[in-house]
Amino acid sequence: MEIIQIVGIGILATVLILVLKEQKPVFAFLLTTAAGILIFLFLIGKIGMILGTLERVAESSGMEMIHIKTVFKIIGISYIAEFGAQIVRDAGQESIASKIELAGKVLIMVLAVPIISIIIETVMKLLPA
Amino acid sequence: MTWLGGWLHELILVVLMAAFVEMLLPSKSMERYARLVLSLLILLAMLSPLISLLKGDASKELSAAVRQQENSGWPGGGKGKGGESLDQILADGRRLAAGARDQSLKLAAEEIAGQMRDQIAGSTGAKGVKVTVALGMGKNPEAPLGQEVPGIISVTVVLPPPQGSAGSSTAGAAGGSGTEGSPIHIEPVKPVQISLEDSSGDGSAGQASPMPEDSVAAGAGSGGNDTRQASEADAEAGNIIRLLEENWNLDPGQIKVQSTGADTVKS
Repeated sequence: MEIIQIVGIGILATVLILVLKEQKPVFAFLLTTAAGILIFLFLIGKIGMILGTLERVAESSGMEMIHIKTVFKIIGISYIAEFGAQIVRDAGQESIASKIELAGKVLIMVLAVPIISIIIETVMKLLPA
Repeated sequence: MTWLGGWLHELILVVLMAAFVEMLLPSKSMERYARLVLSLLILLAMLSPLISLLKGDASKELSAAVRQQENSGWPGGGKGKGGESLDQILADGRRLAAGARDQSLKLAAEEIAGQMRDQIAGSTGAKGVKVTVALGMGKNPEAPLGQEVPGIISVTVVLPPPQGSAGSSTAGAAGGSGTEGSPIHIEPVKPVQISLEDSSGDGSAGQASPMPEDSVAAGAGSGGNDTRQASEADAEAGNIIRLLEENWNLDPGQIKVQSTGADTVKS
């Protein structure tokens, strides 16, 4: 029944923000941020549970830990970047939000660099010199 | 056949996880990039027997590369995991500690110089004495384990010009108060001409020739006055050295007294 709590928090925050926006736009923005963080905190336990299950399954089946770590980093970077970008976008700063998304994309691509280098080295060794 | 089973096992797991993670991703904009990295991971899992054949352990290679990337990444990314970063932190700490010690030594040297100046002014009545104290770390013979303790390396006392010192040494504290009113006035050194062949040359050479060591100070007064002032300055320097030796438990070799007017250096 957490979904009811979360939707309730969302609707309540929306009504309050609509009322507050006429008087104090700054406080409306703060309320938006607070509501977003609250919903994220509700979800963070569930996300941790999912990740823990994944990790346990991978460990028990003898999968490489470095793969798991890379995948978890991808998930974390994309969630955090998305969350921050949405908050900034709500405050009306579209350009900063796109910069945050750009940073998230770049950091995800950086995770690919060691993998790409190993694959390319292997392929180069396969090719006749 | 076991390696084939293990390889298939891993491949299937990676593909399943990639599909699962793709659903977990929050937005469309990140999806393409995440999909690229996930597909690279699947490719790596597919190639892992080949990599193991050519380069040794594939996962070990990858984790070494990732660790190197983390360490050489930006300042917040590495978290200081490697041994070299620990060494760097320790070196930074030592450098900071040395800097703090140098600063405290400098403060203590200024404090000691002030106290010495007060003592010299109190006992000899000389005003305007400049005292410079150099402190350094030295071995403490009494302490166990060879700890280093700060000690006085050298003391340099610069006496005021002879008008002030002469007045104060003859008249004591009263003379000192008299010199405070008049500004310190240093005349430029006149050109010194030394004639070797004849003592009865022109006037300026005759004035300079009898006392060559005092001729530098000849600008301050006449020749007869110079010798008296020099001896007075010598006596005063001796007094100051004795005073500092007794009060501060120093070697005579560590104390250096310079008189700016008479240019005598005593140590």
